[in-house]
Amino acid sequence: MMYGLLAVVLMAMDHRGQYVPRFRSLAGHLVEPVHYVVEWPVRALRGVFGYLQSTQALRRENAALQRDLLQQKASLQRLDAMMEENTRLRTLLEGASSGRRFEFQFAEMIEVDLDPFSHKVIIDHGRDRGIVSGQAVIDGAGIMGQVEDVFQGQSTVRLISDPNHALPVQINRTGLRTVAFGTGDTAHLSMPAVPREADVRIGDLVVTSGLGGRFPSGYPVAIVASIDRREGLTFAQVMAVPIAALDRGREVLLLKSVAPDPAVPDPAVPGPATPVPATMAPAASEAAPPAHE
Amino acid sequence: MNSHRERISPVLITLAVAMVLTIFPLPSALVPMRPYWVALVLIFWCLETHSLITLGNAFLVGLVLDLLTGSLLGMHALGLVILMFLVTRFRARLRFFPPWQQALSVLALLLNDRIILLWIISLEGDALPPASFWLAPLISTLLWPWVFLLLDHYRSLARHHKAK
Repeated sequence: MMYGLLAVVLMAMDHRGQYVPRFRSLAGHLVEPVHYVVEWPVRALRGVFGYLQSTQALRRENAALQRDLLQQKASLQRLDAMMEENTRLRTLLEGASSGRRFEFQFAEMIEVDLDPFSHKVIIDHGRDRGIVSGQAVIDGAGIMGQVEDVFQGQSTVRLISDPNHALPVQINRTGLRTVAFGTGDTAHLSMPAVPREADVRIGDLVVTSGLGGRFPSGYPVAIVASIDRREGLTFAQVMAVPIAALDRGREVLLLKSVAPDPAVPDPAVPGPATPVPATMAPAASEAAPPAHE
Repeated sequence: MNSHRERISPVLITLAVAMVLTIFPLPSALVPMRPYWVALVLIFWCLETHSLITLGNAFLVGLVLDLLTGSLLGMHALGLVILMFLVTRFRARLRFFPPWQQALSVLALLLNDRIILLWIISLEGDALPPASFWLAPLISTLLWPWVFLLLDHYRSLARHHKAK
């Protein structure tokens, strides 16, 4: 009985409080080696299969990759020119550049199966590679989540599908800013704060708005899948499908913001008192049912 | 003291194996079918040894499991404590059930555990899990007789080893 109560209290504290997450991140150091040990045979197997791959297949893959690279390079050239032009126009317009530069760090997921309801994945970079809590994590397609606990050689990433996660976004087509909440389902994000008469269409691309300063602006997040504008609702209920492979994927990129040129004032870096912090927005925890109380 | 330690080591070893099996990566199609290994092992030791699996120990095992799987701290702990309470309550009867009847009671216990889990998940604000959520107790039940035999064999081996 007593242990049952203790468990309930622990859960409530983990859900809401401050101390238990701290305990968890300490205890995580003990669990870390276990994850490595469990994943080791998987890695070894993959290595063996890598050796067994035929030269033919490798050559074909190489050719395909080179073709891809060439294409990407071509589009990057255009992008570079456009970025130049963009900064020039911005300087003309307001005398400031909002460009924050980002560096990418390549990381791999550690393949252990966590609880499917935890909305977390583990990556193989930790404090030893300079990872800090709060870094944005993306994959080739879009935003995945943000770094939560950092351990010695690995860290956990909270996915954007977590029901307590709020992500400042905007509709790419119209620039309408809103917040995308996780729903607990890796296939859906919900945007509950879009005005009913706002211009949103199914198929619209949702990108990060960069507000809150944790996620850089302009990265694709999701595609609008359904809009509910029923009579009597204050806001339209917009559901969107995340673009990043939240439940699959193996390779991820960690974004690291590089200190901008000190000569250029940087309005994009917000103070600590930003109204919508990227993580655990107060609105999110209030909207959640009062758990375990 | 010494004999106590030797008795607990097979329990710890099998529990460790069960935990590794719990987080061992499986193809995503198989993931919902992963048996609740830790619960099976705990039920076995609770039925076989009288004093080792107390509610407190079950709670600790659940906490370790929570840390390993990154779930809400206390989620598995609560489930396992309730599970162990039920097993100790009906231990005298469960022990002398024929295997198929025992397997059925294990199914009931694990379904109960899933219901508790469901309650926690929905309180946390998560979406309701798909139907495959209920597959794991069924698979666990099918595996129970074999797990039982295997652990029993291991136990007699360990005991034999000690006697020597």
